[in-house]
Amino acid sequence: MNTIDDFVALVRDHLGLPVTAEDAERTLDQVPGWDSMHLLWLLTTIERETGRSVPLPDLLQATSLHEMYLLAVDR
Amino acid sequence: MTGTSRTERGEAAGEEAGVGEPAPRDGVPPADALLALHRSGTLAARYPEAQRLVAELDGRELVRAGNLLARLDADETAGLHPGIPAARVAITGHGTLPDLLPALTAQLARHGILLRPFTGRFDGYVLELGDPGSDLYAAEPDLVLCVLDPAVVFDEVAVPWRPADVERAGLEKIGLLKGLATAFEANCRGTLVLNTLPLLRRYTAQLVDHRSRARLGALWRELNARLLHLCEEHERVVVLDLDPLAAEASPASDPRMSVYAKAHLSPDLLAAYAREAGHLVRHLTGRTRKCLVLDLDNTLWGGVLGDDGVDGIEVGEGHRGEAFREFQRVVKQVGSQGVLLAVASKNDVEPVRKVLREHPGMVLREDDFVHVVANWRPKPENVAELARELNLGTHSLVFADDSAFERWLVRSEHPDVAVVGLDADPALHAERLLADGWFDVRETTAEDRVRKTRYRDERARRDFLHTFDSIEEYLRELDVRVVLAEATGEDAARVSQLTMRTNQFNTVTHRLGVPEVRDLLKDARTRILTIRSRDRFGDNGTVGALFTRWADDAVRIDGFLLSCRVFGRGIEQACLAAVLRHARAGAARAVYGAYLPTPRNGGVAELYPRHGFARAAAPPGGPPGPDGSEGVAWFRHDLAEIFTPPDHVHLTDELGGNAP
Repeated sequence: MNTIDDFVALVRDHLGLPVTAEDAERTLDQVPGWDSMHLLWLLTTIERETGRSVPLPDLLQATSLHEMYLLAVDR
Repeated sequence: MTGTSRTERGEAAGEEAGVGEPAPRDGVPPADALLALHRSGTLAARYPEAQRLVAELDGRELVRAGNLLARLDADETAGLHPGIPAARVAITGHGTLPDLLPALTAQLARHGILLRPFTGRFDGYVLELGDPGSDLYAAEPDLVLCVLDPAVVFDEVAVPWRPADVERAGLEKIGLLKGLATAFEANCRGTLVLNTLPLLRRYTAQLVDHRSRARLGALWRELNARLLHLCEEHERVVVLDLDPLAAEASPASDPRMSVYAKAHLSPDLLAAYAREAGHLVRHLTGRTRKCLVLDLDNTLWGGVLGDDGVDGIEVGEGHRGEAFREFQRVVKQVGSQGVLLAVASKNDVEPVRKVLREHPGMVLREDDFVHVVANWRPKPENVAELARELNLGTHSLVFADDSAFERWLVRSEHPDVAVVGLDADPALHAERLLADGWFDVRETTAEDRVRKTRYRDERARRDFLHTFDSIEEYLRELDVRVVLAEATGEDAARVSQLTMRTNQFNTVTHRLGVPEVRDLLKDARTRILTIRSRDRFGDNGTVGALFTRWADDAVRIDGFLLSCRVFGRGIEQACLAAVLRHARAGAARAVYGAYLPTPRNGGVAELYPRHGFARAAAPPGGPPGPDGSEGVAWFRHDLAEIFTPPDHVHLTDELGGNAP
């Protein structure tokens, strides 16, 4: 996973959420279909797919998919 | 299990697909094919196809499939595919369970069942199970998964703690759970699933001395034992033992998820839990398999009998030989509990017989099998012949073979056979066979222990049949004796089992658990009649049941089912005529019979019309069975003229004056 587009594709194809690159910039309450459970699925999925560990407290505080993406890759 | 599911109107596409290995599909791997459905927005519209694809997935691909399917609106999917059997499952528990819903969606999809979920509130299990007016009870679930984790106990323990403090908190929780189980049985017709609590090192290691750790370990297991015993006191409670699952899923808990998200059980453990829950749902919807069909070469022994000879095959001794022997021990164990064993092998029959009779390394012998087919015809033909011989549908078979080619052939010809892929290492055979709990049931009955003999008697009958010129002559000489009696509490387990196992001669196909049968026995208006039969070859045991009910001045036959071993011998006519005679003697104006078509019970579509019933509007008294069903056809007999049953059946009527 190298770009935000990869990340958005992961959310779309692994979690099944119909999100676009524009949605990644929105706050989570404006992302179609988002709820807090998705965050936990996302954590498991990112770690499973990238083999990388993501700090969960930071992820819990992220306000957009883009912020989550940065946490998932910038370590 | 719900209106559509319990009555099992599965469309062919919704039938359970064989599980566990990819079939060629124009070169597209099943995971990609599923993703393509998701991307094109057609997952819901093509759900039966999606289910078949999911049946071929495992590991990460299965997790992803669960996420995609769980996003769909289950009510919408059910509306698009009324034929797919559905199960209403409520999920509740102590912690958050983010991974359970997708995992369960995928597991049920593998078995051709649509999950209609109810998700409870976080840590809401006490109110949801304890309050009769809860949303959970209002959802009328078929199955309630109340997922418990070790924090249920440790959340209640103050620091510093000693093992005795844990014991006190644990016993309190067990007391609470007992109360909830009682409340559940009073408020819900479904099945409640609890689970044991895995003990984590994160707790035991907080005690620095080994003596206290041992005490904690011992008392923790006593708490779990108490939990497991709950299913003896509560008939509709199942307790899943998580220890065997935790021993294989690693780790059982992720401390980060536990602390930050209150998700105390790991995704892997919940995935294993969902798999077991899927087996339970499959059983409760009447889809338990009945017969295990095994290949021989490199399945039950190593090597190729035709090439290596009787003395050259590997079984009993040597590394691989011991592995095959161990696998045979597992097969024999499974076969001892009512699962029929059969062989379909490409071999000459004589050397096969010689191995089964004489080879010193064999655990399985000829009489462990109800049928051995060894010849050079294509396997799908032999599988079909086996099903015919045993009078079973192919949906009752599990086929295990080490050859990917043979598995593909059987899967292609018989999509509803469950296919177990064995590979080159025989040490893994048993795990592969047991992975999907194909034969799991709530409980076994006395009937299971003698089933093999019953089928063997059946073969003797068939050979006997071949000595006659006409069926009538054969039936006369068969000396069929039938006892029609009112069911008592002792019959409940067998009657329940008949409703679960019978697919072909089953007019309405309501699956009933033991407690539901007991409830019906208590209902003054309902009678359950048992049908026992015997003939010159032996006792068939309880082979069928009739569910009758008085409604105003008429008698309704809400369900009529007969084991596939015995129908076609006049037993059904004898019993039906007896019910009609009793109804007339009891001054009923008519008898009504219900028929609900399923993909498997077409054989009884004409049962009522053939015996003097005419198509009619629904009689009074509501739908047949407790859950109501659309699509039931009713037939009415006016009792003016009752047909004469075949005279070769000797019926002993133990119903007394007022029945049915």
